[in-house]
Amino acid sequence: MSNPPIQIDPPAPLVRLTGITKRFGPVTVLRDVQFEGRAGEVHVLAGENGAGKSTLIKILAGIHTDFDGRIEIEGREVRPRSPLDAAALGVAVIHQELSLIGPMSVADNIFLGRTPARAGFVRERSQNEAARHWVGQLGLEIDVRQPVERFPVAARQQIEIAKALSQDARVIVMDEPTSALNAPEVNTLFALIQSLRARGCCIIYITHKMEEIERIADRITVLRDGHWIGTAPAPQLPAAKLIQWMVGRQLGEQFPRRAPHPGAERLRLENFSVFPSGFSSRPAVDNVTFSVRAGEVLGLAGLQGSGASELFLGLFGAYGAATRGQVRLENQEVRIASPRQAIAAGVALLTNDRKATGLVLSLSIAANATLADLPRLSPGGWRRPARERAAAETMTAPMRLRAASMDVEVGALSGGNQQKVALAKWLQTRPRVLLLDEPTRGIDVAAKREIYQLVEQWTAAGIALLLITSEMPELLTLSDRVAVLHRGRLAAEFSHAEAAPEAILAAAMGQSA
Amino acid sequence: MKTSSWKSAAASPAGRALLALLLVIAAGLIFNADGAFFKIGTHRDTLRQASVYGMLACGMTLVIVCGGIDLAVGSMVGLSAVCAAQMAIHWNWPAWQTVPACLAAGALCGAVSGVVTAGLRVQPFIATLSMMVLARGLAKYASGGMKVSTAVRNADGTYHYVEVPPLFRAIDHRVLGGNLSMVTVIFLVCVLLAWLALSKHRWGRYLYAIGGNEEAARLSGVPVIRAKIGAYAASGLFSAVAGLCQAAQEQQGDPEAGGGYELVAIAMVVIGGTSLMGGRGGIGLTLLGVLTIGYLDKILSINAVPEAGRLVLTGIIIVAAVLTQRRSRT
Amino acid sequence: MRAQIIPFLFTLASILLTGCGQSKPAPNEAKGGAPPRKYVIGMSQCNLGEPWRVQMNEDVREAAASHPELKVVFKDAQNDTLKQRAHVEEFISSKVDLLIISPKEAQPLTEPVARAIDTGIPVIVLDRAVLGDKYTCFIGADNTKIGRAAGEWIVKKLGGKGKVVELMGLMTSIPGQDRHNGFRQGIAGSDINVIFEADMKWLEPEARQEMESALSRFDHIDLVFAHNDPGAHGAYLAAKAAGRDNILFVGIDALPQEGVAYVQQGILDATFRYPTGGAEAIDTALKIFKGEPVPKKIVLGTRLFDKSNVAAGGAALP
Repeated sequence: MSNPPIQIDPPAPLVRLTGITKRFGPVTVLRDVQFEGRAGEVHVLAGENGAGKSTLIKILAGIHTDFDGRIEIEGREVRPRSPLDAAALGVAVIHQELSLIGPMSVADNIFLGRTPARAGFVRERSQNEAARHWVGQLGLEIDVRQPVERFPVAARQQIEIAKALSQDARVIVMDEPTSALNAPEVNTLFALIQSLRARGCCIIYITHKMEEIERIADRITVLRDGHWIGTAPAPQLPAAKLIQWMVGRQLGEQFPRRAPHPGAERLRLENFSVFPSGFSSRPAVDNVTFSVRAGEVLGLAGLQGSGASELFLGLFGAYGAATRGQVRLENQEVRIASPRQAIAAGVALLTNDRKATGLVLSLSIAANATLADLPRLSPGGWRRPARERAAAETMTAPMRLRAASMDVEVGALSGGNQQKVALAKWLQTRPRVLLLDEPTRGIDVAAKREIYQLVEQWTAAGIALLLITSEMPELLTLSDRVAVLHRGRLAAEFSHAEAAPEAILAAAMGQSA
Repeated sequence: MKTSSWKSAAASPAGRALLALLLVIAAGLIFNADGAFFKIGTHRDTLRQASVYGMLACGMTLVIVCGGIDLAVGSMVGLSAVCAAQMAIHWNWPAWQTVPACLAAGALCGAVSGVVTAGLRVQPFIATLSMMVLARGLAKYASGGMKVSTAVRNADGTYHYVEVPPLFRAIDHRVLGGNLSMVTVIFLVCVLLAWLALSKHRWGRYLYAIGGNEEAARLSGVPVIRAKIGAYAASGLFSAVAGLCQAAQEQQGDPEAGGGYELVAIAMVVIGGTSLMGGRGGIGLTLLGVLTIGYLDKILSINAVPEAGRLVLTGIIIVAAVLTQRRSRT
Repeated sequence: MRAQIIPFLFTLASILLTGCGQSKPAPNEAKGGAPPRKYVIGMSQCNLGEPWRVQMNEDVREAAASHPELKVVFKDAQNDTLKQRAHVEEFISSKVDLLIISPKEAQPLTEPVARAIDTGIPVIVLDRAVLGDKYTCFIGADNTKIGRAAGEWIVKKLGGKGKVVELMGLMTSIPGQDRHNGFRQGIAGSDINVIFEADMKWLEPEARQEMESALSRFDHIDLVFAHNDPGAHGAYLAAKAAGRDNILFVGIDALPQEGVAYVQQGILDATFRYPTGGAEAIDTALKIFKGEPVPKKIVLGTRLFDKSNVAAGGAALP
């Protein structure tokens, strides 16, 4: 139960955004969004992946300066041109990837950008004293001369908050602050938030976790697909209604439901765990068990931190041998400890960032499309360019790839065409199991449809597909079954009939249905 | 051919490298040192002089394409020269023993560099810098700090002389009616082998992929560590060939041989147009770079340009060549 | 962190290996009965990277070998001034009877040498001088004199006229400049014409390249004068490959297994010894031990090695 706000009449807002519209090229990410935050409240900003929350915050923080709309702070219209500008206006953002500089001292970090100096020489002693003062306000007793990287994440977060306070911030934005904290640390953070609230700050809190929203929210604003859906005091938005607002009735363009082609069991994971940071740290995937049949699409749903991508990477051998549990392919147990072993076993992974990890942008279409299958295409080691070109053309033909020739550099293609090249590469390896991580991210609608059609063809050919996507309509249309992950654990499984957006989101947020 | 395709050919990396070479040759035609530039002998000697550096540049291309660098090639030349001289002159080994032994030693040193950088994940700069010091030390240790020559010391302190081994004579030899050095032929064989590996073999495609995006290559099943070790071992192998040729040409094994050669090799690769970031370039470009620097050197030499002037001019030209490449990247 | 240890170990290993290869313990023969008194001589060499310095140590060792009462301890500073200072201090504290030093640099080694003198240890300085005069004896060669001797020999050999190529050592170094100036002094007034000069930086491959350029430019070359024997050797190979057999070659340094060997093999026509002073140092040391007076400075003469006298061990020049 959250504490009642201090003021009783609705006061003048501390920060107000109106008519915010933001475009990235042809894609409109925010459309006429409004938001207002009052002094002395904890205002939760909620929405699914891709709803536009981060973009809105970045506009307020001066990171995106090109937008339509109006920002007012304490009634005055402002237009922050940089994060430093925003800080001067009293807005502080505590990002998920903390923006402290590891090797620098706590004091240096707190005063970064406003280092007290005389004729260029840093006044170290007075800086340290001031830093000690701010850090002390949070009840933290640490040596401010130590480099920040020596401290655990929880302390670093507090240092960020101290930095915000030292900048005399009135509006403090926290983006998923508890993702790396344990329970006692979360309590400390919430106590801190209460004291900030008591000082008259406005805390804008972004989270996916229902339990947190229920604990601290005074008011909640919901965004969906770049639109402002509504703002209401927390008591008026119980979990079920909140989820409904987040998911909405319209599911976007309707895409005809695929014909299911379920076959024999193809992949089975039993008590599968993935430890990306080594066996002594927390696993990203924790004892997950499920199976997928040939010709079936299993949608893997989960919000940030759920471990879905890590499951794919672990299964594919990208983390080496840092996995536990059993993996069975067509009822044969397999040990996959490297991508090469995965490919040999018939598992393929389309990563969620084609430019960073999916394609070699300096190589041609043909080179990329054949990269994972070269041992077969070049027996004895010597390459057969004609064979490679033929393979690339065969694979890309059904995808309607638009390019002048197979020798074009992949870096010059559009996002949709690049994705098709990546898909061609994986289809070339004749996979038995195809893992697709955000296959339509950053792709225009026409290309999306083409990829949906390809999914249809692949299932007809008997490939077992696992699909991660943050677009609910896509998830619902393509998946035969949906498995939901929450914090690395399997939270729920739904058949196609049972799968409904509210139920999925609830499970992803940790609510049992 | 239409003008537009001429233009795009000229703007390509090969086009620009060729242009640089043609400019240098034009300078030679103008500053021809009383006609010396027109003699066949001058061109034969230019190629001879550039060949040892060129062999290093072949191996360096492989390493740079996969995103690394090899600073140890110069020292490995010294080590290989000492080994070759010791084996061929003092121990009287026949060619079929000397040559494989030297090549194996070079490949081994290179493989060690490769294991340290690819397997132990030490930065290539640091790993090969360490090998540079180590190989030079080994060369001095094996030779006792002196050149291994045809003068053999007797017990009483006098010297007797042995013949220059037939292997050395065969290498430091002219063919084609005296118009081409054997060393140049060996260099061209190196170019051919490196080209085959990089352009025609699966391993070469792996190297390009690793240099272009190592993580994407890894996640596409490319055997990254093995491929990289191979590249460094190949660099060591080419260095060994260069050292053998150097020893043959000097008729002795000098532990100091090859000092500073690594920078020349890198300059040749860079001027040719292969990117230091990796993932782009090739042996053909390197060959153009070898010729460009080789001819530049020769033109300065036949015109007896004083040392200070040579250094300044060479430096300016290298910077200019690299800048013109960066400007028009398609 | 672990990965950074590897290159460190490589470097350490290589330094140890190079160090191990060079400093061998001094021979210690006692002939017959107990020698009257053993003198310990400390020899501080600035580096053993140059063959000429290896030769210097060899000369010291050989000269001392025929005097069983002498024991020489060698220390190699590996071209590190601080290391050499430490070595001098070690010799002082172990109270050697005499110190021979070939310093890396004059300034930093002046004070340690002075301290040795103050504690009563005589000091012989070889090849590079220290500042001031707090030492017992300086023994060194005169590069200008050697260059001049070479020039004069060339004038005589060519009968006063001819076309000569000069291949110079690193012209930013004193020896290179001295040899060049001396050579020009030696040929002054004659009809010897230097048609081509180039800086080959003491290196054989560079000399070969420069010689090739000279050969392609000039159809007629009488003689090549190189500032060191490796340079002359490289020029010789270039000429041989070009089939130009009637050129004479002159070098400097005359190390027994290099320059002298080249003259014996007919590769060079003459070479001039750049003496190390090692033998003279031992001679001087013996005089000091006997209590005889020694000069403050000994300028070593050079030795000419050419076809006529190489079998006899060359001819000394004043």
